[in-house]
Amino acid sequence: MTGTSKFSGVSRRNFLVGAAAGVTAAALPSWGRVAHAAGKNHLNVGLIGFSVVNTLDPQKAALNSDFWALSAMFNGLMRILPDGSVEPDLAESVSQENDTTYIFSLRKGVKFHNGEELTAEDVKFTLDRVLSEETASPNRAKFEAIEQVEARDKYTVVLRLSVPSVPVITHLHNGVTGSQIISKKAFEDMGAEAFSKAPVGTGPFKIKEWRPSERLKMVAHTDYFRAGEPKVASCDILLIAEETSGGTAMLAGDIDLASTIPFADAPQLEADPNITISRMSGANWRYCALNLSKAPFDDVNFRRAVSMAFNRESVVKAAIFGEGSPMQGAIPSYLKTAYATYERPVCQFNPERARAEMAKGKYGEGTEAVVLTWGSGWWKRWSEIFAANINQVLGTKFTVEVTDANVAFQRYKAMEMDCSNTGWIGRMELDEYIGDCFRTGASRNFYKYSNAKVDELIDAGRAEFNPVKRGELYRMAEDLIVEECPVIFSFNNNAHNMWRTGVEGFVPTPGQHLGSQLGPVSVPS
Amino acid sequence: MLRGCRSDWLLNEFVVRFAGIARKMEGASALGFIWYLIIRLGGALVTIAIGAVFVFILMQLIPGDPAIAALGENATDENVAAFRRIHGLDQPLPVQFWIWLSGIAQGDFGKSITLAQGYPVWDLMVQRLPNTLFIAVYALVIAVVISFFAGSIAALRQGRMSDTAATSASILGISMPDFWLSYVLILVFSLGLGVLPAFGFTSPLESFSGALVNGALPAFAIAAPMAGVFARILRAALLETKRRDYVTAARSFGFRDTFVYMHYIFRNALIPFVTVIGVQVRYLVGGTVIIERIFGIAGLGSMMVDGAFGRDFAVVQACMLAFLVFVLGVNLIVDIICAFLDPRRTH
Repeated sequence: MTGTSKFSGVSRRNFLVGAAAGVTAAALPSWGRVAHAAGKNHLNVGLIGFSVVNTLDPQKAALNSDFWALSAMFNGLMRILPDGSVEPDLAESVSQENDTTYIFSLRKGVKFHNGEELTAEDVKFTLDRVLSEETASPNRAKFEAIEQVEARDKYTVVLRLSVPSVPVITHLHNGVTGSQIISKKAFEDMGAEAFSKAPVGTGPFKIKEWRPSERLKMVAHTDYFRAGEPKVASCDILLIAEETSGGTAMLAGDIDLASTIPFADAPQLEADPNITISRMSGANWRYCALNLSKAPFDDVNFRRAVSMAFNRESVVKAAIFGEGSPMQGAIPSYLKTAYATYERPVCQFNPERARAEMAKGKYGEGTEAVVLTWGSGWWKRWSEIFAANINQVLGTKFTVEVTDANVAFQRYKAMEMDCSNTGWIGRMELDEYIGDCFRTGASRNFYKYSNAKVDELIDAGRAEFNPVKRGELYRMAEDLIVEECPVIFSFNNNAHNMWRTGVEGFVPTPGQHLGSQLGPVSVPS
Repeated sequence: MLRGCRSDWLLNEFVVRFAGIARKMEGASALGFIWYLIIRLGGALVTIAIGAVFVFILMQLIPGDPAIAALGENATDENVAAFRRIHGLDQPLPVQFWIWLSGIAQGDFGKSITLAQGYPVWDLMVQRLPNTLFIAVYALVIAVVISFFAGSIAALRQGRMSDTAATSASILGISMPDFWLSYVLILVFSLGLGVLPAFGFTSPLESFSGALVNGALPAFAIAAPMAGVFARILRAALLETKRRDYVTAARSFGFRDTFVYMHYIFRNALIPFVTVIGVQVRYLVGGTVIIERIFGIAGLGSMMVDGAFGRDFAVVQACMLAFLVFVLGVNLIVDIICAFLDPRRTH
């Protein structure tokens, strides 16, 4: 090491070693790139902010990420167009015998990934499976109105409902629904467990390999019933848990298309000429759920006071970097028939009215409450701003408790809390925003809100076939709910997608059901 | 020993060492070594058994519910009850523990419930272990090579410019947070030069060259702080050993500098060096979650974190056991290496 021999020039041996090293170093990146990009005509899709896809069995799936991934391999009887309208997908047409009987005529010649033809038996098998106690499907509640599924002939399915229900029909789309049609034969041959890892559907892509918490490898289903789709030979869905990595992966070209973007990084990504970002008011809502059965949120005046003391604009600006808009109800603007375009005073920031409202009720200055939240991202920021905001206006003593998402949900479900910020994304059916959350005894009504008039309006809305009248009924219900503030209606965040220049055919939707949108997407060859 | 003290010292070193081991195996000391191994392995087994109980209890103590992780917040009570029944979570704890433990005894680590429902945990581990080991070895090699040169140069040229440079570089390495360095590397090599990917990893079993390239940035990000620590330890140990009497004695015999360095200084300085490497290797297997996240490497560490967030008991327990086995294994190997390096033992 002390260097006894010194070179006056470069020896032949050293030259050769150096040259070999140089060539290797130069060649390495190209090898890596080849292995990485898996060749031409391949689409890499990023699910940003998610680390888990728990199952590929649609009837068992529950998480948004489950559905966003698996929907690439399936179809529903219906589908939702980007403008929000519902049309038949695997069904060719839908007709009604009466208010509670629907007849679905299936498309002929639709092939599953295993080559079998789709028949009414597959549809019956799928829907029966969602409803069966044995399956324990987390999606069962959506289809409870179904009394009987009948395969009338090879291509005709008859759905008999116990009550007239429009939501049941919407829930037959390929979204966060659990009604994606599976192959009966494949399921019976494989068994539930094997099927959940390598499902057989009719969608544009079929499974090649599932690497849990890493990526889903799929190849084109060449017999897909929509001619010319899919446009690529293969597609990987990558789970990118770290949001910033989603941005850098897009900038570096390691992914071509992505769901969601990190709110904070939006301006930087937008500035890159190789990246297109789409932005629209999303099919989602965020709210602060209140424990209505104990102090201080058992008092309607106090709840109204909090709602009017809450500056929604500031949360949208600071917590989600302006990527959203304040809400004065549960219904997002994308559901146009029901969205309230007029002002609701109880959801407007007005410190004086808020204090006056508080004075009418049981609780005053110094009232304590804990805002339950989780993680370290914008959920936490939202909660902190919310608490500080209310304290400033009302002189209350709201504090924030941070835990992890699992504990927060568990305590929220059991109402072991004062209040908790929550919300969801990607729900397309009006009833999910009102009926599921505010009807007496409904599946998401953990705060046990109950109002007979609201229930009546919701039931009427579920049975109303005219979309305009239906929207009106839900909006009337929402009017009543908002006056009582069982939750603090907060904001809606933008639905984003981003893709690299050259990616074509992708149509963004408010629901962001990424997998179901991949069929028409092409990449530059 | 003295005859092979020129450029072929390394080869000679091996010959001498193997001859030493062979001698030991023939004689009474071989028996001693085997006994030592048996005692260590027995101790390891006891530690693993205690660890298994501890991990199981710990997982049950933390609040949260796997049913909520898997079914989402709007699952009905019936759904939750059915989920618990299907996955055996409704059984009494001792029964669950017994099922788990007897499963492990037969090589069955149970099934995932919230990470990849129904997927055997063993299969998940087999998918991820090569990635974790590959990145760990990759980072370790980079760190050892860099620190070997930096530490040696710093010690041999103490007080000179090269010492200052090497020492400053290692302090820089130690003080740069690995996640920050990761983004700097991405900025330069992925977004700037465009030669290395920013996200996505190829399993070494699928493509070794792909893994080398895709793993380069994360491996370097992990290696930099380690190299800093290693280099400083090596430098300190070398300086300490350099002043020893036996080194002066060796010099006075007229041995070449290289020979004295390799046989008298370097070899003795290696003991703390190897010990520190051993300590750091433990971190490499489970502690690189942030790097795994940034670069999208499906490793054991991030699997355990995902499992913990989802209350996937079987996954977390299996990962913890794997880490335990790994740590015990590394400890044993480090002790054996140090024993062989220590001249007092071999002579």
